Amino acid sequence: MSTQDAAQQHPLMQAVRRYGGDPADLPFWEACASGSFLLHRCGKCERHYWPASRCIEHGDEAMAWVPASGRGQVYTYTVMHRAYTPDTRDSVPFAIAVVQLEEGPFYHSNILDCPFDAVAVGMPVEVVMQPHESGLTIPQFRPRAE
Amino acid sequence: MRSACAIVGLGITGQGVGLGLEGRELRAQAVDLALADAGLPRDAIDGYIRAYVDREDLRYMGLSPNFSVSMMTGGATPVFSIIAAQALVEAGQAQVVACVYGEAQSAGAITGKPDIGSYGYGYPMLYGLLGAAATHAFHARRHMHLYGTTSEHLGAVAITQRDYALKRPGTLGYGKPLTLAEHQASPMIADPFRRYDCTRNTDGGVAVLVTTAERARSLCANPVYLLGAGTGHNIVNWHKGLVYENHDNVAPAKARAFAQAGMGIDDIDMAQLYDPFTISPLMQLEAFGFVGEGQGGPFYAEGGAGPDGSIPTNTGGGQLSAYYSTGFTGVAEAVLQLRGEAGEGQLKKSETALVSGHGMNAGVQNTWAHACMILGRNP
Repeated sequence: MSTQDAAQQHPLMQAVRRYGGDPADLPFWEACASGSFLLHRCGKCERHYWPASRCIEHGDEAMAWVPASGRGQVYTYTVMHRAYTPDTRDSVPFAIAVVQLEEGPFYHSNILDCPFDAVAVGMPVEVVMQPHESGLTIPQFRPRAE
Repeated sequence: MRSACAIVGLGITGQGVGLGLEGRELRAQAVDLALADAGLPRDAIDGYIRAYVDREDLRYMGLSPNFSVSMMTGGATPVFSIIAAQALVEAGQAQVVACVYGEAQSAGAITGKPDIGSYGYGYPMLYGLLGAAATHAFHARRHMHLYGTTSEHLGAVAITQRDYALKRPGTLGYGKPLTLAEHQASPMIADPFRRYDCTRNTDGGVAVLVTTAERARSLCANPVYLLGAGTGHNIVNWHKGLVYENHDNVAPAKARAFAQAGMGIDDIDMAQLYDPFTISPLMQLEAFGFVGEGQGGPFYAEGGAGPDGSIPTNTGGGQLSAYYSTGFTGVAEAVLQLRGEAGEGQLKKSETALVSGHGMNAGVQNTWAHACMILGRNP
């Protein structure tokens, strides 16, 4: 069985595809399910990436998934007030933040344990894993003391 | 490079919500109007570029060009199609290229098809991120954080453009004034955007015909010349971690367009900038250097983008208050102004225009293509 076929039959693949994701991200989602937060890193220059990427300098020469701190700061955010789909009708308003991770990459997340109107740019946050109805375990972020 | 080509035909169909016409009929009407405008027969069109994907337009319209190209780089497609038309003319593949858009965007609500507002962008959908408003809101929030831009500043963009639309028959905002109080009272969509910060989907078509400058002069009294053009993709700013500081990757696009035109910012009489949301023209005016970094909000509040300001911007009401024919909204308005056909909204000074488009947001990285061009009344 080819690598590609194996990815297609992976139990998380359907959920990953549903959200426009890539088989190359499967190691990330597997790690989430066991409670760890990874980033894709180039071993040559130590640039970190999310999602799976080719390094802007070194391509895929030395890309590998590595454990990351799971810490960052809210870089920008929005609060969704309009429900674009029926399944979000009961959850608005809710915040979506873009977290800048300590290692550099951005990661979109809700901010747990924080009222939607208390989210602020610069707020220090940390990762916490949470089950999602898609079957994936997804990283979420919550405020942390500095 | 400068003035190799010109726009000789402009077709604008009815524009509005629920027109009851299919996209291809809107495109066919736009092409017919553009041909009539240029005084050209149907078989003069020997190149066809459709904004977005096409299979059947040619038969439906009775066209027989040398090629039909489907082009998709989101809202940057219209400007990009004109750049490509010039390149194809220069490559000897056509003499008259039709660049065409026509969609029944508002029909989604009727047919149950998801509309543009429900676009999803990859993994962030896991967290409830849907719609172009939210992806542009990230830029707006960052701008507010860095420069103290306020919701009232965004309101000033909406009102500036509505004031233009007030004088423009056939637009959504025609004869419907908007006040700052109404803007502030309108419901929040994706913070910091309220309803009046967002463009609504409309139906409509626009076509332009691009030919050589030489042929343009023999065809019509008032060709609109393509003086320079540029492109830039914001992915480079994702790589640098600066994507939210940069609404578009304007720098390389601006450099090429102005170098080709042999012009500077001071030579531009008006700007027609892609404006799905109020933050968009505000940040582009800064990026092009019409105003200082972070000064876009106060600039709008003081009327700087109005008809008597230093750079009249989106002078037909733009997407926000006129109609959404993707990047063709700005192209069409620039052509009308440069030909002196903008009616009561005609600017006093209208020799040159900067037009931009952006689009094709690709996913997690929240980046899109940008294309701009400088159009002029004189070659």
